[in-house]
Amino acid sequence: MALKIEPLKCIECGACELACGYHWDRAFSPITSSIMTYRTREKKNYFGLILKEEENLILGRPEGVEVQRIGAVEEGVEADASAKPIMLREGCDLCDGFDNLLCVQYCPTGAMYQE
Amino acid sequence: MGNLTSETLLIIDLASGEISEEMIEDEFYKEHVGGAAANLALYKKYQDEDPIVLGTGLLAGTLVPGSSLSVITAKSPRTGKVCHAPVNLYGGIELKYTGFDFVVIKGASEKPVYLWLHDQVADVSEADEYWGLDVWETTDKMRVGLGEDLIQVLAIGKAGENASPLAQVNLNYWATGDQWGFGGLFGQKKIKAIAMRGMGMFDMDDEDAFLKNALGVLNEFKNSPLASKKGIAEIGAEIGEDIAGWLEPLTHRHSACFNTPVAFNTFLKFDDDPKILKETDVEEPGILLTNIYDILGFKNLGMSVEDAARVLQACMKYGIDPVAVAELSQKAGKKSLDEIKGSFSELSGDVAATGKGTLSPCTPLKPLFHDAGSEGQASDWWEKRQAVAYICGIQHFFILMAPFLSDEKLLEFINQGTGLEITADVLNKAVAAVISG
Repeated sequence: MALKIEPLKCIECGACELACGYHWDRAFSPITSSIMTYRTREKKNYFGLILKEEENLILGRPEGVEVQRIGAVEEGVEADASAKPIMLREGCDLCDGFDNLLCVQYCPTGAMYQE
Repeated sequence: MGNLTSETLLIIDLASGEISEEMIEDEFYKEHVGGAAANLALYKKYQDEDPIVLGTGLLAGTLVPGSSLSVITAKSPRTGKVCHAPVNLYGGIELKYTGFDFVVIKGASEKPVYLWLHDQVADVSEADEYWGLDVWETTDKMRVGLGEDLIQVLAIGKAGENASPLAQVNLNYWATGDQWGFGGLFGQKKIKAIAMRGMGMFDMDDEDAFLKNALGVLNEFKNSPLASKKGIAEIGAEIGEDIAGWLEPLTHRHSACFNTPVAFNTFLKFDDDPKILKETDVEEPGILLTNIYDILGFKNLGMSVEDAARVLQACMKYGIDPVAVAELSQKAGKKSLDEIKGSFSELSGDVAATGKGTLSPCTPLKPLFHDAGSEGQASDWWEKRQAVAYICGIQHFFILMAPFLSDEKLLEFINQGTGLEITADVLNKAVAAVISG
């Protein structure tokens, strides 16, 4: 089972963050979520999703999905500032303990899906 | 921390600089529910000190679809009545997650200040370095200074600094539903901005029931015709304004307010190619349109979509209500981009679009994408639905589209979430209080 992202379906609502935060804390707390809406370029309307897995960072940007191995960012290349808050969080465990992936369930547009 | 609440009221006395906190008892929620009704109760308690009250609804920041709204309540410099303005996008929930359900700002400061609310900490700091900046410069500088791009900023521009009754409190860069002149009130009190960022956490009383209910409502939405709608032009069509073709050349992507399942905010790009999706070097390519009336007035002056978007951007930077600008420009016979941009400081007069109510007239006065049955024909349908949204913390456009978010359903959520057993009678009284002011 894997969690896949279709960034162009994302509407920047953040429901996935809240659902994922519930998975970790059993409370509403987006700050612990393994997934974030990518929304630091607000003036440019440039948004998508970032998913932290155990070993990879999945950047779901409008131009496509990119997988970056955590800790393997090329020397001299500054890590994307949008990714910084998520680096300290737990990686996605595919909602261990739940029957379904909560982010997929609560996403209104199908920007995330289970494969 | 309570269920769905931080149980904390923050009181800031601008005159003395004193900051205090009070615990909010369950009885307060049982009497006023939250949001605009609770704000109003707090306003009345402190009314001798001309307060501005910020407040969140019990459902704001939860998984209930549409849970994005917080509210600013104050006496409108434009109408003289106690009115309510919506705070949306991510601003509404960021307030809630700061750990303060309500913030009472009373008195006035002698010097410019900004408020920084974060992680149940409140700071009032001198804002000399911000005073004089436009709204966009203020937000940019504040995010750099406070160290994070996700900080939400309620800010005023030049119009607010001049205490104009046409001034608006903007959110980050964008126009808001503040058609009350609250921006001028911020200016009178020398509040340049309120920055918010929260790491809070909220429990639920019956989390299984609450989440099952939220998923049920979301699935109702997904199976409804509403799920196929997107973009602000669809709202235009609902009110008889066909603007889709006019907007299309500048239309970039549509987005939503927090946890609102429909993307009715439309970004217009006029200084970059709107069809390019990847990031470019253009720092300020356009504007986010969150309310159709913000641009409709300029269209009705005969402006091109590019000129209308550019004048709207100028309004956002200056911190002035674009609906008022369009109406007063029309009365003054000003119709060109340069004429209107150059006249912000001279504009004055009554604005008919402000209306006589207590809830922002920024949403269409009718059900959207459904007829709401016989109830939808009632003259007070719009006010009651808006009041419920402002009390519970539901996006104020979405509630006009969502028959599945009935008053009964919202109360069910509140009671599953809080365990407070708030009755329909209490909600009805809160609605009546908000409408009557």
